[in-house]
Amino acid sequence: MKILSLIPIIAIGGLLLWAAQDFPKWGDVESPASKSPVSSHFIGKTGVDTEVPNMVTAVLADYRGFDTMFETVVVFIAGMAVLAILKGSTRGNSRRKDHEVEAEPDLIVTNTVRLIVPVIQIFAFYVLAHGHVSPGGGFQGGVLMGASFILIALSWDLEKAVSRFSIERCMIVAALGIVIYGGIGLLSMMLGGEFLDYAELERVLPVSREMARYHAMLGVEIGVGFTVTAIMFALYANLSSEGSLKQGL
Amino acid sequence: MENAIAWIFIFPLIGSVLVALAGFVNRKFCYPISVLSMAGSCWAGIETLRQAMSSPSHEVSYILGGWTLDLFPRGVGIEFRADILAALIAMIVLGVGLIVTVYSKIHVEKETPNKESVYYSLMLLQITGLAGICLTGDAFNLYVLIEVAALTGYGLIAIGSNRAAAATFNYLILGTIGASLYLLGVGYLYIKTGTLNMVGIREVIENSKLANSETLQVAFVLIGVGILIKMAFFPFHAWLPNAYCNAPTTTSCLLAPLVTKVMIYVMIRMILSVFGVKFSFESTIWVSWMPWLVVIAIVCAAFLALSQREIKRMLAYLIVAEVGYMVGGVWIYNYYGLIGSIFHIISDACMTLCLFLGAGIILHKCKTTHFDGLRGLFSRMPLTMIGFFIGGFSIIGLPPTCGFFSKWYLITGGMVSQRWEYMVVLMFSTMVMVILFFRLIERIHLAVDESGKNLGKGHGDLGLTKEQTRFDEAPLIMLIPLLVAASIVLLIGVYNQDVVNQIEIFLKAYGLPTGVKYK
Repeated sequence: MKILSLIPIIAIGGLLLWAAQDFPKWGDVESPASKSPVSSHFIGKTGVDTEVPNMVTAVLADYRGFDTMFETVVVFIAGMAVLAILKGSTRGNSRRKDHEVEAEPDLIVTNTVRLIVPVIQIFAFYVLAHGHVSPGGGFQGGVLMGASFILIALSWDLEKAVSRFSIERCMIVAALGIVIYGGIGLLSMMLGGEFLDYAELERVLPVSREMARYHAMLGVEIGVGFTVTAIMFALYANLSSEGSLKQGL
Repeated sequence: MENAIAWIFIFPLIGSVLVALAGFVNRKFCYPISVLSMAGSCWAGIETLRQAMSSPSHEVSYILGGWTLDLFPRGVGIEFRADILAALIAMIVLGVGLIVTVYSKIHVEKETPNKESVYYSLMLLQITGLAGICLTGDAFNLYVLIEVAALTGYGLIAIGSNRAAAATFNYLILGTIGASLYLLGVGYLYIKTGTLNMVGIREVIENSKLANSETLQVAFVLIGVGILIKMAFFPFHAWLPNAYCNAPTTTSCLLAPLVTKVMIYVMIRMILSVFGVKFSFESTIWVSWMPWLVVIAIVCAAFLALSQREIKRMLAYLIVAEVGYMVGGVWIYNYYGLIGSIFHIISDACMTLCLFLGAGIILHKCKTTHFDGLRGLFSRMPLTMIGFFIGGFSIIGLPPTCGFFSKWYLITGGMVSQRWEYMVVLMFSTMVMVILFFRLIERIHLAVDESGKNLGKGHGDLGLTKEQTRFDEAPLIMLIPLLVAASIVLLIGVYNQDVVNQIEIFLKAYGLPTGVKYK
């Protein structure tokens, strides 16, 4: 079996190597991907179009914002699918009876986490809100935020974390994230543009068209942050306890 | 309506979020919200199709985010492009979605109790993803939407029994491999062309003479193989039968008619819009051996279908065979073959829907879909059986069902391009389908068991008690969708010329050969 599976791997690897001879040189300014007007539009016009200094965020949340909306939906789907499979399953109840540990949470660990968690959460907000200017954004901020809840679950136990952020609330927050993202897109469509044409938001915001795009990007990043935070934690809670939401790792 | 094309995905997207939230209030709201949002989406689909047909360029272009198309190659911002083909297939996706959503009520309540909200939410997102795949004009956006459709599919299948979860795992591995190969191919395309817009890529390939570029050749192979895995083309079909048979009934009704067909649409889209006809057929060597692979695929799938003793599993292998038809229709490199392929996507979606809806009703009423449990079904559920067999006759290809006309074009394509192997295998598989379905008809009409023993006394006596043959039709909420699907099969058959005219308007621009080109 192992030898059989080597055959397609070698075939694909060989194919990829064969293709590489035709690649443009590394960092070549004449290569199609760097020379193409699409790239130069992103590089040259991002600041003009959107007032956003961070080109990556502009491409992600505005030029290709539709992709990002569905990436957020994919995160949401992942949470829903895990919930669908594990909810009400009996698999988690019967396991590891023999070596179940009934220990008190460790004093040093819990106190350290008590100190760290607020810092992580503030940093998460910073990463989320600063995505326009520096590396960061909704996905990264959301992951940090979700990690802070997972840290609570790891150092106390899952029940304590779930009592702070129940799975129902997770799903509501995750859905809310999609509503924020899609809602901004829909609003700009209602105001006369195309779906996700943030510039049209100037009619309701007291700013220029470019700044409207700037602010709308922050809005959609917040939506992404909501969904990612909630689904991060929901995935951890469900998977670590096989759906029972008790004990955890 | 100016934004009709956007409403196609906005309606189910809003619907899915509402359904997910409604689950916390009252689960009774989930079903009506789903049906309403699908109805809205269908309306938007019809409107888009109308716009595409009536516009002078025969397409609707919609740039999300309001960016520009003026650059060459275009590609700033994501474009939704509904030409006639895209709008037609999207309409089929939405129509099937609506019918299945209406049909789903009893099954979902019974098979996935307490999970209705999650189920309907995933279902609506699945339809969003599939409709988006049809409409998008951006190669990377297509990948994202494939992910949406695939992930919801995994969830919808695994929500059933534990066996379904095991089947899903196979599907997940293979599906992920397929999607990754596609993504890798798109990366290669971007390296050489510098844009992700489908039409933009084609314009660059045609203008800068990239036909002999190794990178593009490999990109074509990667994308091609990735899509073949996703559409369950014969050697890669292993995930399909288990996934569809162990899934909850509604899931198989939704996925079986759509997923594989949409992937064939993606293949056609890649050939026509991204790589271009000239590159795909004349600069690669696929034309010379793909029809032979198709022959192997159809023969094997037909035999596998013949050896099944269970309706759903038999239908699953039929799908694998039908995939072979459509792939063959594309790769014989002929105008008529491609008409046949596109028409067959439409008719196959409708007839597979018919068959799976019927199988779902049988499962609901008889608790089994094994061949032995079918005796006397015609006297019990005549309407269901008529609907089911209209689908069956269409698979065989009897006029006036739509399956006859699409197969007609496929065979014509095989003849004029002189790919006799493809034509012969189509005839062969038609014979196998005849055996498959008349064997079923025999099962429900005659009283002969597996070993040939006579159970009744002849003259229509099935050896069943009066109780067992009493009229006992399916609930209306399941019966009506089935009959609607069956009448669509007949209607598309009767009005086949109108459908073909539209497909011809679309295909004329691509300069496909009407005679022998290969050899």
